[in-house]
Amino acid sequence: MDTLISENGVFLPIPPLQAVRLHFILGTILVLTFMVAHTFFPINLITHPTQTLFIIWGIVGPVLMILFGHLRQDMEQCSYFRAAGRGYVGLVAGAIVNALGAIILGAPVGFEYFTKTLNWSLLMSSFTFVPAACAFGSAWSHWHRVFAETKAFSFIDYMIRLPAYGAVIGAWFGAWPMPLDWERPWQEWPICVSYGAMVGYLMGLVASSVCIIFHNRRQQHLKGE
Amino acid sequence: MSKSGEVSWKSENLGKRRWAFVVFLGILILHGLAILVFTRGFLLTRTELSQYSHCSDIQQSPCFSPPQDDQMVNHSKGCWTKPAVDRIVIIVLDALRYDFVAPSTFFDEKKPWMDRLQVLHKLASQPGSFAKIFKAIADPPTTSLQRLKGLTTGGLPTFIDVGNSFGAPAIIEDNLIFQMAKNGKRVVMMGDDTWVQLFPQHFNISHPFPSFNVKDLDTVDNGCIEHLFPYLYQEDWDVLIAHFLGVDHAGHIFGVDSTEMIEKLEQYNGILEKVVDVMESQSGPGGLHENTLLLVMGDHGQTINGDHGGGAPEEVETSLFAMSLQKNPSSLPSETDSSSCRLDTEKRKICTSSIEQLDFSATVSALLGIPYPFGSIGRVNPELYALAAGTWNLDIFNPESGINLSGSERWMQNYVNVLCMNTWQVKRYIDVYSASSVIGFSDKDMSHVSDLYAQAHDNWLHTKEAVLNCKSESCSTLLPQLKKQVETYSNFLSSITALARSKWTEFNLKMMGTGLCILVLSLFVHIFTIKKLDKLCSCYLPRGGDFVVSFEAIFAYAAVLIRSFSFLSNSFILEEGKTASFLLATAGMLQLRHAIVKKKMFLEGLLFVLVVPLLRFGIELGQSKQAVNSLFLMSFASWTVSVDNGSNLWIYVADILPFLALVILAYILYYKSITHSSCRGIFKLVAIGTIFASSLIALAWALDGNLFSPSTVIVDIKAYWIPRIIYVIGLLQLFLLAISQLFGKEKTSGWEEDTIVKATAMLSAWSSTIIILSGKQGPLVALAAVIQGWCVIRLMTLERAKNDYYDSSTSYSSPVAKWSLLAVCLFFCTGHWCAFDGLRYASAFVGFDEFNLIRQAALLTIDTFGFSHILPVMGLPLIVACRRHPEVQAEKRKPLFFLQLCQVYLIYGLTMAISMTLTIICVTIQRRHLMVWGLFAPKFVFDAVGLLLTDLFICLASLYYFA
Repeated sequence: MDTLISENGVFLPIPPLQAVRLHFILGTILVLTFMVAHTFFPINLITHPTQTLFIIWGIVGPVLMILFGHLRQDMEQCSYFRAAGRGYVGLVAGAIVNALGAIILGAPVGFEYFTKTLNWSLLMSSFTFVPAACAFGSAWSHWHRVFAETKAFSFIDYMIRLPAYGAVIGAWFGAWPMPLDWERPWQEWPICVSYGAMVGYLMGLVASSVCIIFHNRRQQHLKGE
Repeated sequence: MSKSGEVSWKSENLGKRRWAFVVFLGILILHGLAILVFTRGFLLTRTELSQYSHCSDIQQSPCFSPPQDDQMVNHSKGCWTKPAVDRIVIIVLDALRYDFVAPSTFFDEKKPWMDRLQVLHKLASQPGSFAKIFKAIADPPTTSLQRLKGLTTGGLPTFIDVGNSFGAPAIIEDNLIFQMAKNGKRVVMMGDDTWVQLFPQHFNISHPFPSFNVKDLDTVDNGCIEHLFPYLYQEDWDVLIAHFLGVDHAGHIFGVDSTEMIEKLEQYNGILEKVVDVMESQSGPGGLHENTLLLVMGDHGQTINGDHGGGAPEEVETSLFAMSLQKNPSSLPSETDSSSCRLDTEKRKICTSSIEQLDFSATVSALLGIPYPFGSIGRVNPELYALAAGTWNLDIFNPESGINLSGSERWMQNYVNVLCMNTWQVKRYIDVYSASSVIGFSDKDMSHVSDLYAQAHDNWLHTKEAVLNCKSESCSTLLPQLKKQVETYSNFLSSITALARSKWTEFNLKMMGTGLCILVLSLFVHIFTIKKLDKLCSCYLPRGGDFVVSFEAIFAYAAVLIRSFSFLSNSFILEEGKTASFLLATAGMLQLRHAIVKKKMFLEGLLFVLVVPLLRFGIELGQSKQAVNSLFLMSFASWTVSVDNGSNLWIYVADILPFLALVILAYILYYKSITHSSCRGIFKLVAIGTIFASSLIALAWALDGNLFSPSTVIVDIKAYWIPRIIYVIGLLQLFLLAISQLFGKEKTSGWEEDTIVKATAMLSAWSSTIIILSGKQGPLVALAAVIQGWCVIRLMTLERAKNDYYDSSTSYSSPVAKWSLLAVCLFFCTGHWCAFDGLRYASAFVGFDEFNLIRQAALLTIDTFGFSHILPVMGLPLIVACRRHPEVQAEKRKPLFFLQLCQVYLIYGLTMAISMTLTIICVTIQRRHLMVWGLFAPKFVFDAVGLLLTDLFICLASLYYFA
């Protein structure tokens, strides 16, 4: 078990196996949600981008809140429900930041895009802001450490940072095919960007699992010596 | 001399003005050479001549001509050749592939789209053939507009036809339609509206239909059908042109192998069947179509995907079906007959021949008896000419007698005379062309051509003799002599065609490759010099910590490369402005993240990021203007922002914003000029001049509004005097700055401060001219540029705080890359794009009404490249000057400063040169692409001009800034 001391107190340990299992659950739920949308409501991202995005963040967001509420770092001061609740605040705040970022990078502005951009930014916010908000609340130093630095103090840093980065980088690459003249429906905003974000998020989950296992091995190796 | 001594000696020289100037001049020359060589291979140019052929010209030729008095009395008798047909019906089916028309037995494999135009097979297979299928070979570029131009002028249109009609598509050269109209033929046109653009005044009646909507398969065709049949019963026309677009559009949208295409072809089969029925029903003696020629033709082919524009066999092979409604008495002598015959699927014998599209205009002119267009270089095609029955019963030499000649002998006689005029006309064109064109033909080619012509002419004298002999004595020598004559003429004409093709349609790959190699070489020179300067700079910079390449620098390299490689796709060229703003925004976000990590300058980072979307709205606004002009962008309507013009408040705000921006800019300048201690004398004068100029601009715009009644004095002041005063002030400011540079004292300290003042003065001297040229958007864009530039400079200090060791070039690569991305964004956001209709011609006439080439070209250049090339290059020293090196000793700072300045200019030039290299590679790869002339070539021209201007201004800047 790795327990590290930071300036804010004791980090709660997370068994590596549990972390990896959590990743697996998250990935499965994301894929399942996608399939649920496809089979129960016969819709997908291309035909009904707004509704599909709504279903995905509507399921994945609360799941993330539930799971990361357990991993809250301030167990003493904060109840489980409060931790899950501040995930909602994070969701809204993150949506504003993400929507702003998308518009700065070139997302179309206009009334007909409003609901699409809104749902897309809520999805992005679930991937990026919600886990951190649940786990850290408003502790700026934690946020700063997770998102601005490259070193990791505990597994939870990996678990929040890598999937979030994955989603953002995936969305950035997802925007590339948009100007091409293939005239495919998926080139519309925000379809390919959402695909990119989800693929990036899944890859982030895998990367995070690999990092955690690798980290754990090395620590056990060090302990063994 | 010790090693360190050598280094310091070198570096003392390297920072000097002369050295820097020589380096930059060398790069300018290298780039200029590369572009010149590449352009000679890629951008084929041809001069359009404004001469026209006239009936009376034929007197100067050595050929037999019809009696002049006859021609004077009655135009319809013809003036060069005798008319062989009375009326012509031309049905153009756009993008008609050869295998749509020819029987499937002519090809290896039967494809679903073959054998659909059965009516043509039936007609071509009828015995006593008076109908024939031709494979018509087009010349690239195979786009409709260029092809129609080629078909009617009989020439080879190139990308740049240098002429008076720059920008407008109307043909100013002599052409078939012009000759028809001038010689009393009444022309009726229906279908594709490109014809009306090309010939705005030549048609008696026209029924144009819009051709730009590729997705609409039927509007043009239905319009054609609706008008075509009534005309077939009327007699008030001589030439009828019906241009159907369905097959072309079906190809573009669905491809050749699609049910839509087959439906279209079957529809055409029905239409053609009906047309032929109607015409045949009236082809009896005295009927409307007694001596009518029906031509069904394509203007170019298409690939299986429906693309065309290039020179692939599928694209250049189109077809021509010709049918004369008057029966032929006999058939051609075998020497001139090149047809190949096969049985079709229903065991009918069908013969096909081949014809060059180049020959179309000369042949049709000969058939109608009108002068060949002046610039035609085609040959009268014997097989098409012989289809018209009228060519068989002419006897030009001795109309009265000629009893003792067989039909084919008489035809040959006539044909030789037609070819004689043909040859004479082509020779005349080539002579006039090479005398008047800037880039004519080489002397060697010309003398070869003259030799061939002399040979043909000598032979002609013998032929004449033989003809006269035949009149009085024996005719035994006549036929061989005529055949020989046809051969010599054909020889001459084909050598002319080959010469013209090599000059006007074939890319010179060797030249293009050489140009590319020189450009790549210049890249290596750039990189080598930058690395060399790195080494020299490292003598002055303290070493400490690890060597780190920051993430920002890596992204800067990546951004330059991503942008350059995006040019390989036409879509990214169309969306270049947005790609640049996307990359700029990403760079800004990374910087913001960096600022958050460092916990300082958060606001600057945020400001930078927030201004980017404003630039993007400018770019989208420009694109919506482009969409009006260009059909490429039609499908991107969803991307463009819709501007609501309805509300009054917005109009009010849009009116007031430019003034506000102007005031802020003037205030910034004023503030700068009083706070900087070294801003004295001339510099202060320059700053005051700019502030005065901007108040004049504000005055001009205020007068523009509805505040005052529009009296002539006010209009004069606002439209002429204010812009001219501003130009004069700008010139004076530049002159003063040059003077100050010439007579200024050499300084030993405070040159960083000094450079900031110099750069500000230089920018302010240019700014007022640029702002008045770009109109009310000017101050807004300028303000955004100032904010962004300031943020880039401020945020640069983020990296300095680190204790790590940098190469000087790596530490500058990130700000310089952002600087150049910003410059690209500014180009697009001022309403420009990389096409000739993206030039803002109106700005060339700010302050002037009359046209003066040099003056207006200078103004247009300043407007086009002012924000994106001149200002960024002139402002680049600010990056170096605002970055202090307190850790470096005072006496070492000066050489270090100039070395770094030199390096920053080199890096900036390198980013431009890299994107130019990729543009060149891209046009080389895509030289047969559908949009090569619409998109890639203009992009190449803009990039080339931009690169050379940047190099030139870097040279000038090196004279101005370096001590």
